[in-house]
This record gives sequence, C-alpha cells and structure tokens, in this order.
Amino acid sequence: MTTATIQAVRVQRTLNATPERVFDAWLDPEALGRFMRPGSEKRSADAVTDPRVGGRFIITMLGEGNVYPHTGEYLEIDRPHKLVFTWYSKATAMGKSTVTVELKPAAGGKTDLTLTHVGLPENEMANHNGGWTAIMDLLDGVLRS
Amino acid sequence: MPGKGLAHTSQFHIFNHMVEYQTSRLDAVYGALSDGHRRKMLQRLSRRTLTIGELADPLPISLAAASKHIQILERAGLVRREKSGREYHITLVEKPLHDAAEWATRTAEFWERRLDQLEEYLNPDTKR
Repeated sequence: MTTATIQAVRVQRTLNATPERVFDAWLDPEALGRFMRPGSEKRSADAVTDPRVGGRFIITMLGEGNVYPHTGEYLEIDRPHKLVFTWYSKATAMGKSTVTVELKPAAGGKTDLTLTHVGLPENEMANHNGGWTAIMDLLDGVLRS
Repeated sequence: MPGKGLAHTSQFHIFNHMVEYQTSRLDAVYGALSDGHRRKMLQRLSRRTLTIGELADPLPISLAAASKHIQILERAGLVRREKSGREYHITLVEKPLHDAAEWATRTAEFWERRLDQLEEYLNPDTKR
C-alpha cells in the first residue's frame, strides 16, 4: 500500500495576456518583484532568478517590517506551457513543496493558468494521481456536514 | 473556521499563524487520508459513531485489517475509540480535518492574491 503524504491545493485563473507573456512573468525578477508581494505592500519584492533547470531563485517579500525569503529550484521549464519549481518558505511552515504552473491558450489571446502546490515529505517522489482531489472532497464533505 | 475572516487578515499575519501548525501532525493527517478505505470510514463516521464491525462491514477487508486502519486514524487524531460493553465505538474527531483544510485554504489564499497581482502586472490599465 502506497501512502504518499499529500498536501495540495490548486488555483485557476484566466489571464488577459498571451501564454508567453504570462510564462515570462514567472521567471523575470522585475515581474516577480511586482506580483510576489503582499497587497498591502507598495515596495516590490526582491527577486533573483537563474532560470534554467537546476537553477535557483530567491524571492524576498517585504511586509510589516519583516522580510520573508522564499527559495526554490527550477525542475522543469517548458515555455510557454509548463513551469515546475520547488518552493521553500520557512515562514509558511510548508516545508519542502513543489509548485507547478500550467498554461493553456484561451480564446481572445488569453491564458488559462492552473497552479498546483503540492507538499511532500523529503525524498518522496511526487506521485499524487489526483489523490488530493479525493482528500479535498472528503474535507468538503466532513466540514459541511 | 477555515476561510472565515481571511479577507480582513493581512497576508503576513496569516504566515505567522501558519507556523503554529505542526507540519508533522498535518503529515499524519494527510497520510491517514491517503488511503481509500480510511476515507470511506471517515465519510461514514461523519454521519454517526460506529463500531469496528460496522466500519469493516461494507469494506472488502478483514476485521483485523479494519482495526489496523482505525489505529492509523487514531494516531492521526482523526478518530476516538470508546469502549462500551464488549464493543468499541469509533467517533470522528473533526479538528485535525479542519486544520488540514486550513493549510489548504491559506495556501490557496496566498496564491490567489499573487495571481491578483500578476493580473494587475499584466494589465496595468484595468486596475480595479
């Protein structure tokens, strides 16, 4: 019996920009600085990226007198379809986790973005086979009953 | 309650809050939830307290196997076992499920806000 530990969320959004523009924003330090900051914070985050497979990034978010570093490594860079990177943030207690950003062209030059954030224990391969949906369904059911 | 009041809480307050959640406990919860038989058990327990026999009954597994599954759920803090006469009654404990859901809610909330700002970055003229 396989019991991979799974913590996962998925968010989706249709963006009014081409997949290329959306994809590049995820690797460009200036763009990252603009969108990886708390809404209440006027200052951009400080981002440094080495956008190649095996390359790393550091995004330091500012807020309320504190700095919140987020680091990770690029696992897959397939412009403009898919970007996979590890995500480590001490402040979020998420431990080691993996973020996948998938882009699909939508009508009118728009882009459907799907972001999946999966937390896995160290040394365990990401093999979640939709297990997280089952978990979320269950949680939904229990919490609503 | 997951989600409640999130809109009025600053992002970094949420971060600080998240540190309070014990990752190991969440791992145990998600580990316990990763098995189909155990999820079915929990689903049925969300309606009422059941005996081990009643829990095993609809599943294609032995009473001993069912008992093992219940032990895993117990260790994750998802169920409570109470002896009543000759039988054990199993009751759902909802709090760990709420905590697990809260991790998901907060993480989703984090990315939703980032995507709001990505949208603004891509379309600066149509700021809300």
